[in-house]
Amino acid sequence: MLSRLNYTFRETWASFRRNMTLTVAAIITSAVSLLIFGLTLLMQQGFDNLLVAWQGDVEMIVFVNPTATDEQRAEIQDALSSFPQQVESFNYCDTACSLSEAQRLLAGDPSTLELLTAENIPTQYKVVPTQGTDVETLRQLRESLRSLPNVSNIVLADEQLSVIDKLKGFVGLYTLILSVTLLFAAILLIWNTIRTAMFARRREIEVMKLVGATDWFIRVPFMLEGLIQGFIGGLGACGGLWAINNRWTAGVQDFPQGSGFAALVVTDGFTFRVMLLILAIGMVAGAIGSGIAASRFLDV
Amino acid sequence: MIRLENVTKTYQHDVVAVRDASFDVPKGEFVFLVGPSGSGKSTLLRLLNRQDRPERGAVWVAGRNIIDMPSGRVPQLRRNIGNIFQDFKLLLNKTVFENVAFAQEVIGKPKHVISQQVPAVLDLVGLAGKEDRFPHQLSGGEQQRVSVARAFVNRPLILLADEPTGNLDPATGEGIMRLLDRINKTGTTVLMATHDQRIVNTMRKRVIQLDRGVIVRDQARGVYE
Repeated sequence: MLSRLNYTFRETWASFRRNMTLTVAAIITSAVSLLIFGLTLLMQQGFDNLLVAWQGDVEMIVFVNPTATDEQRAEIQDALSSFPQQVESFNYCDTACSLSEAQRLLAGDPSTLELLTAENIPTQYKVVPTQGTDVETLRQLRESLRSLPNVSNIVLADEQLSVIDKLKGFVGLYTLILSVTLLFAAILLIWNTIRTAMFARRREIEVMKLVGATDWFIRVPFMLEGLIQGFIGGLGACGGLWAINNRWTAGVQDFPQGSGFAALVVTDGFTFRVMLLILAIGMVAGAIGSGIAASRFLDV
Repeated sequence: MIRLENVTKTYQHDVVAVRDASFDVPKGEFVFLVGPSGSGKSTLLRLLNRQDRPERGAVWVAGRNIIDMPSGRVPQLRRNIGNIFQDFKLLLNKTVFENVAFAQEVIGKPKHVISQQVPAVLDLVGLAGKEDRFPHQLSGGEQQRVSVARAFVNRPLILLADEPTGNLDPATGEGIMRLLDRINKTGTTVLMATHDQRIVNTMRKRVIQLDRGVIVRDQARGVYE
């Protein structure tokens, strides 16, 4: 067992040295493609942060003054219930709920976040209109609710959503296409590196097959080589992702407060999960690509 | 040890390499396969270690029909068969010791076994003291001896030799034949494809002659003709 491990690592290292140029090319391509893939995920998450207030077909949010008493809130609630033709349902997001939402939305704007407390944060009614309610009717509804005491603000989805949605769709789709294309190119390059390595060693492989080495014994060092290429590419992508995300976070904090971009900053936990994912994709794609390339030379 | 039953092997474009070949080789026998180039000698050897599969017939090696043998069991079959080639097929970046040890390493033999058995087999083939040389530092005959050592180090039941003296001068070729004869006397069955009339006529072993894929002669203690 120990001699096999020794053999596997020795062969992998030898192959790495022999194929340096192709190896470096494969690593760089996989790093760039994984980086773009990671950035796509981060951007998607940023847009999702922007959209978090509008989940579950919520199209109107009624912000309530934090000083409103239970009776005053009940008044707003009664008003919402009195429009059964326009309002299908509504949910109340209390102080704790509003605070936790703000923590997510304002991750990139800590100074504003610091100012928000349980005492001063507005609570919200998230309103789901009945099907077929048009924007004009919702605007009329907004006007009639706005006059109620303790309603601090009312926002409608159509005004916010159309911009975010368009941005998310455009950026998300094209970065995804780009990253998948590059990832495919990276797999092809790793595949080609392994094929070249195997071609250079075809005599050795033929001898191995003829003396009774199993296909897996021959394949494993090549798969390990592909896995390491994918891993190094993934590490490069992780470094790039970390650096870009840090720059972005720092940049957003310099934006004017309340400019609306704060939600585009993702939390460190999410970035870390994306890093683990791209490392795993790099390793699996490298190993599988090499395994397939190796299998084509084992037919002796 | 080896039995072929009505074996036919065709390559692309309907080129028949072996047609309806049948013969038996008992354990420990030495057999020459003779015939002109393209008569099917090498194809017969390739059929015996499952590098090729025939369209028809059965190939029995050590009691098993290897035609339908699952691919996963072929390595086990090949561990019982040694191969020697006209062009030696040595690994040029490995020393004599490493070339022979390689055959043991890839089938998972432990290091201490390798360090005992490789020097012993190098001694047998007359290469003691040349363990650290690389193939380009050896003569053709010595390179073929390394190839014989590599084929024999795992003590195979069968040795397949495809024109092992084809690239060697007559005297060196005779040395290799003496070596193969010694190995044969240890009980290893030897099948050797050759053009070398002098060797066949001197050794007087069983001769199977092929002509355009057909066995035209199978003679005990035969000559080349």
